[in-house]
Amino acid sequence: MNKHTKIAIFIAPFLAIIGFAITDMYEEQQAAEKRIFTMSVQNQCDIKAKNCILESDEFLLSISHQRGETLINSTYPLDTATLFLVDQDNNATSFSLGMTDNPYYWRAKTNLGALIEKPGSDQKLRIIANIKGGSYISEFTSTTQ
Amino acid sequence: MVKDNSSYWQDNLRIIMTCLIIWFVVSYGFGLVLVEPLNAIKLGGYKLGFWFAQQGSIVTFVALVFWYSYKMNQLDKKYGVEE
Repeated sequence: MNKHTKIAIFIAPFLAIIGFAITDMYEEQQAAEKRIFTMSVQNQCDIKAKNCILESDEFLLSISHQRGETLINSTYPLDTATLFLVDQDNNATSFSLGMTDNPYYWRAKTNLGALIEKPGSDQKLRIIANIKGGSYISEFTSTTQ
Repeated sequence: MVKDNSSYWQDNLRIIMTCLIIWFVVSYGFGLVLVEPLNAIKLGGYKLGFWFAQQGSIVTFVALVFWYSYKMNQLDKKYGVEE
């Protein structure tokens, strides 16, 4: 092994470490930027039937309602979650959801149960789920079968 | 002694700069900035951008070690200072 090979083998790990450091800085900067992702409804949303899943790539968010509480369950841990019930005049009532046990489960007492009780009833909802570096938003309608 | 120190050093710098440019393009360019377009290409079942970020850049670094050594040996011979 001559001197040039020795020098190259000595220098290469430092360059690799610098490369990883630059990558890490870039990724951290990207993660810090606020981004908004729109979620869409998988198939059809029927909250009463516990069949309402929103998706955005690999992020899934399930919404259900039982015993006067609206629950959401997500595939990624959330920082905050806010649900809006939108009436026919497009006025929205907001509900800040509270964490249940872990950041994958959130719930709040809402009057959604009464609004989706009757078969055929439509209820427009909006949701904002915040995760570090991004907000997942959606406007959708729950139709009771 | 090298007959023309300045010329030897210039050639040396050119090789180093080439190595650094390839190092930067492979690690930062292919592994990060161009990762999405490269992911459209599959290499042995893996997305090319992902492969560069995980393995390709390291493979290139190792190849660069030997390429640099080879080029420097050529340079030494050219200037009559080989070991």
